[in-house]
Parts: sequence; structure tokens; C-alpha cells
Amino acid sequence: MRILGVYNIKGGVGKTATAVNLAYLASREGLRTLVWDLDPQGAASFYFRIKPKVKGGSKKMLRGKIDLDDLIKGTDFENLDLLPADFSYRNMDLLLDEVKKPALRLLKLLRPLSYEYDLIFLDCPPSISLVSENIFQATDALLVPTIPTTLSLRTYRQLLDFVANNKLDSLKIMPFFSMVDRRKRMHIEMLEQLPKHYDELLTTHIPYASDVERMGVFRQPLLEYASKGPAVTAYEALWAEVRAGISL
Amino acid sequence: MIKQQEERFSIPDVIHPDEIVVAIQNSRSLLEDPSTIVVRTFLDSFDWRLYSRGLSLWTERRDGVSRLCQNGIPELGPNAWITLPGAAPRFSDDIPPGQIQESVAQPLGVRALMSQVETESQVRSLRLLDSAEKTVLRILLEQNGSRVSGTGQYRFCGNTIRLLPVRGYPKPLSRIRKLLRSKFGLSVAKDDLQDEALQAIGREAGDYSFKLSFNFDPMLRSDLAARQIHLYLLGIIERNIPGMKADLDSEFLHDLRVAVRRTRSALTQIKGVFSDFELDRFKSRLAWVGQVTGPTRDMDVFLLGFGQYRESLPQKFRDDLNPLHDFLTKHQKMEQQILVQKINSPHFRKLLKEWRLFLETTVDEQADTPPDATTPIGQLANRRIHKMYRRVLKHGSAINDESPAESLHDLRKECKKLRYLMEFFQHLYPNKKISRLIRVLKELLDNLGNFQDLEVQADQLREYARQMVEERETPHDTLLAMGMLVDGLLRRQQQAHLEFSERFASFSRPRNQRMFRALFASGSKGGKR
Repeated sequence: MRILGVYNIKGGVGKTATAVNLAYLASREGLRTLVWDLDPQGAASFYFRIKPKVKGGSKKMLRGKIDLDDLIKGTDFENLDLLPADFSYRNMDLLLDEVKKPALRLLKLLRPLSYEYDLIFLDCPPSISLVSENIFQATDALLVPTIPTTLSLRTYRQLLDFVANNKLDSLKIMPFFSMVDRRKRMHIEMLEQLPKHYDELLTTHIPYASDVERMGVFRQPLLEYASKGPAVTAYEALWAEVRAGISL
Repeated sequence: MIKQQEERFSIPDVIHPDEIVVAIQNSRSLLEDPSTIVVRTFLDSFDWRLYSRGLSLWTERRDGVSRLCQNGIPELGPNAWITLPGAAPRFSDDIPPGQIQESVAQPLGVRALMSQVETESQVRSLRLLDSAEKTVLRILLEQNGSRVSGTGQYRFCGNTIRLLPVRGYPKPLSRIRKLLRSKFGLSVAKDDLQDEALQAIGREAGDYSFKLSFNFDPMLRSDLAARQIHLYLLGIIERNIPGMKADLDSEFLHDLRVAVRRTRSALTQIKGVFSDFELDRFKSRLAWVGQVTGPTRDMDVFLLGFGQYRESLPQKFRDDLNPLHDFLTKHQKMEQQILVQKINSPHFRKLLKEWRLFLETTVDEQADTPPDATTPIGQLANRRIHKMYRRVLKHGSAINDESPAESLHDLRKECKKLRYLMEFFQHLYPNKKISRLIRVLKELLDNLGNFQDLEVQADQLREYARQMVEERETPHDTLLAMGMLVDGLLRRQQQAHLEFSERFASFSRPRNQRMFRALFASGSKGGKR
């Protein structure tokens, strides 16, 4: 089993679209895939038409009173399941603080699922907190959708600093450009310049596309309602690059 | 949490599938996806190794995409699958790495996967939706046909409805199950598609086994019992011929050779039931089959064990053995061609035909009969097993660490004869006791087998080295590495010799001797006790 976090300190960078579309592509290739919607806003749950509600809330879950196994819901797609969001996830930081070894709690909860799933996506809430630290500890790799702007670059550097300061050397970081708008000069410049400075940057980038925005209208992964187009091609290429990157 | 499993119902001919769709539609929101045709090829080894462990494996082709699917591993959930980029896998190593590969590798061992039956299903896919139009249950209506893979027309083998639960939504499944029961009287099908498909082409799963399983009345005439044994063994020989000729895997030849060996042993050990004239007609011709199948088997044994040979050498010398692997592969193919010629020869075909004719010819119960033809088989089995046992005991006791290799080889032959006799007549004796005695005999045979096989392999390797040098320039390092192998084999053989006395002491310990006597020494009586 591999665990992939989809994370950025900033919000609104295309995290959920990445998690949902890559998970969909993985499941279509026969990988038993789970998405854990950790964001209390519950966007991934919404896309899959599943109620953002968890029996007993995050309190029972984090204290181990209820198995994750019992909370999982099947999506409309073969091999693709969801652990829904819950509004109580907004307090997860506080709850984590109360348990033993708080930074390793999510990993402990996920371990029993290793025989059931080949791949787990963690759709993470923005910001750096105890929850993000948990995510860094639990994941094999961190996918970081990044809008090619200076501000985004700054938050990416913050992430790198955090990883270095917390001795998370084994964490593989896979940043890629997201919501790329070729009409914007800054986007074009960043696309040209940054690969020279960041070897870990994936070559695929996801264009800004109205097709992606319509995921909320159709409440489906992009590839379910759009069979072609630049965004579809980009997600397919991104998935191939990520899959190779995590040797799956 | 145990995952909810798929439920499958057979639809009787009197119910049209449309009636079921209408009934569900009346109570629930239902969405129909485009219907598809699914072609499945069920795979298993010739001897049903997956089926016997409750596993099923099949390829599934729909809309131009192929998958390899598996059922039977609870942890993987129902119908685990992976996409199949190329042809169906032949050996477990051909399956892409992952849990499907891991779960079939051990049961399959060296056996190849074969297509057992092919089905074609016209599938109507329906989805039950909740108020957010989320799928909460998948319903598949399938009209199935089956055929021998790739040949002939599909034969109808039933309409089915499959309910595929969506995880975390248990209620829709139970509601629809209830509706199918109350309105249409349907209940969960006992057989799966593979079973139904096999039945439609006149077969059943598990219809080949290499195991001996007879159930004679102890009072049955011995000649009739012997014929049944021989007919069963002949069946095994005949059924393995196509796979052996096609060289699908090494075990067709193996099973055929063992069946021939058991036949030859039965001919001489179940004594006095056929006339000497008949015995002479077949004995030497069956020995010929053993001889002509030997060289290919020798190559197979080397190729199957090649990985172990390699690993027995230090890492840096392992690649030196590559020319040996090339030599073995090339010569296995050559020997296989020669073998196929022999198996296609009139001599071999005539032998099997005449042997079958002889075995199936009705016994004239009034005619002059050989001395033990009419003896009850229970009595003859006792007598023969006990005699052979005493011989093994006598010859084994005379062997010590200084005895020549031939004495151990001869003892092995006698032990094998004893083992075959005990296996032919196993059911005539209390299962627990005879199983124990067969087990202790096998332990002794393993030791004797090791002793002889290691020597034979060492001699063969030396011979191969000579042949390789004659055929082409062979690197000195290869010959040296082969020398290391020979050395290792001979050391292990020496070890087997030293272990013999301990193994034989265990075999012949008083408790086992008492048990042998109690089971077989009563001479004239043969029934269960």
C-alpha cells in the first residue's frame, strides 16, 4: 500500500480535483484506491455525492473507538472508495493533541487498511498544523499542487523548511504546477524558470480549465464527463508521472 | 468489517429478465448503462490447483479492454482485478506483480494456466440510486453462454442476476434480495458461472486428479480390482498426452511417467491375476515408454531446479552458469521433439490401444484362470504388502555406512513398490493407521531418493559438461562452476548416505513393525478393522 498526500499550505490550488481525478485514474487501472477527505469543507465527498458525515465524528475515530473500515463508503466507481469528511475535522488539531504520539496517529489508523488498498489519497486541509505533521508522517509522498505565482512559491519554500526542520527526510515531495493560465506572463515565466531550481518539480502541469471547475456541477471526476481536452490529457499524464514516481 | 459479498441468483426460464427490471423500477430510482458483451476465460492448471483451494481466476474482455480477475481471497474482496496489457498469463510469473500474483503463485507452483472454459455474457448494467443520485447498488442481468475455449458455438448456460453491493450501503442489497425472493421466488445460486459453464459443455471442475482413489470391496476378485487400477492409470496416461506433446508444462510428462511406473509396478506386484502371456505382452513395451520419456524429464528436472543450483553457488559465480542454462533449454527442446515423435509413433499408439482393449475385455469367470485371479483383493493386498514389507525390512537392515550405493538403489526400488501397493489399496485399511505407515515410508523414500537422484544429477552434469565442450567453445569459468555444482551434489549425497541409518531405524522401529504386522500379516483376511 502507498499513501499519497495532496497538500498545500494555501487553499484553492486544486488539491481536491487532483486527489479525486488521480484516484479515479488509479482505480481504473485496477488499483484498489481510497480517498480520505480530511478537509472539513468536504469537497471530495461532495464530488462523490457522499454525505460529509462520519459516525461518532473525529473524536471517536482518533481515539480508536471506531475502525476506519466501518466508515468507508463505496463511490460510483469500481475499486474507488471514500472515507468521507466530517465537520468535526475542523477540531482535529485539538483532538490530536490529546492522544499519545499525536504526530503518528493517522499512520496508526491507516495501517490496518494496508491489505485492502493499493493506494490511499489523503485530501488534506490547507495550513500547517498538527494535522499536516500527521500527514507528512503517514505518507510515502506528498503531491503539492502549486499555482505558478510568487506567493505560491513562498508557501512552497515554507513547506520545504518545515520538512527540513522536522527531520522528515524520507518524505518524497512531488510539486507540480496547477491551474496554469498561459495568458498570464507570470505563469509563463515561472514555468520556464522554476524547473531549473527545483529538481523535484514534476514535468506535467495542470491547465486552468473550466472543465475542471464543472466537477462541482456534475459531481463527478473530470474524466467521467469529459473524455478529452487539455485538462483530461494533463491529469492522465500527471497520473502516469506520479505512478512511476512512487514505483507502483 | 467483513465486506459484503456479491450475490448471484439464477433466473428460471419462465421469468423474463424484463419483469425483474420493471419490478425494481416500480420501487426505486434505477439507471441503466449501455449493455455490453463480456467474454470470460476461466483459467486453472490442468489438475485444478486453484479450484481445489477455493480460488478462481479468469480473464475478462469487454469493450476492447482485458482484465485478469480473481475471486476467493477474502481480503482482496470480491472480483479483484488488474488490467491485462498482453496475452493471458501462462505461468504465475507472467502475472504482473501484486496480490493476485502472490495468491496464485504458491498453489500453481510449476504448473501452467490453461483455459478451462470460455463464456460469453450479454450484460445489462443497472444502478440503483439514492436521493443524491449516488449509486448504492449495482445490478447486472447476464445471459450466459459457454464453450470449449475458442471452439464452436456458445451453448446457453442460464440467465442470472448479480447484485453487487456498494461498500457502506447494506440496505439496498437486502431490499432487492427480499424483492427477488418474495416476488419471483429467487434464491442465491449454488454454483458460480464457471461451474455452470463447465456443466453446459459436459465437464465439471476438478475432473482430473493425479491422486489414487479406489474403493474396492475386499471380496472383489483380484483380477477385476487390478483391471480397475490399470484402467485408472491408463486414463491418466491418455489425458496427459496432449499437454505433454504441446509441452504446456513439465508436469504432464511427470504425471504420465509416474502413471507408467505405477502400471509397471502393479503388473508385477499384483501377482498371479493375469496370465504370464499377457504380462509379457505389455511389460517390456511399458518399460520402453519409461525409457523414451526419460531424457526430456531429466532436462526438465535440471531446468526446474536451475534457480536453486544457481543460488547454491556464491554470488560472483552464479552468472557463470548461464551457458549451462542455454544448453539445457536447447537440449530440452530437442529431446521434446524426439519424445513427440515417439509418442506419435504407431508403436506407442498400438500399445495404448491394445492395453485398453485387454483391460476392457470382459473376464470370462468360468475360464481357466491364473492362480490369484479369483482371490479376494483384500486377501491378496495383505499378502503382497506384507511380503514386500518384510523384504524391505530384511534388505534395509543389512545396509550400513559401508554398503555399496547399489544396495541403497535396490532398496529404493523395493520401497517404491511397497508404497505403490499401499497406495493402491489404502482404502481397505483404517485410514489413520495406513496414512501413518505411508508417511513413514515416504520419509525413508525421500532419503533414498535424494541419495540416488543426487548421484544421477552429478553424473549427468559431468556428461553435460563434456557435451557442451564438444558442441561449442565453453568458458572455463562455466565448467568450473559446474564442477562446484557437482561437488555440492556429491557432498549432499554423502550426507544422505550418513542419514540413512537414522531414517531406516525410524521406519523400522518396533511400533511401526507392530502396526505393519497388525494391518497386513493376517494373510487371508483383508477387510477393514
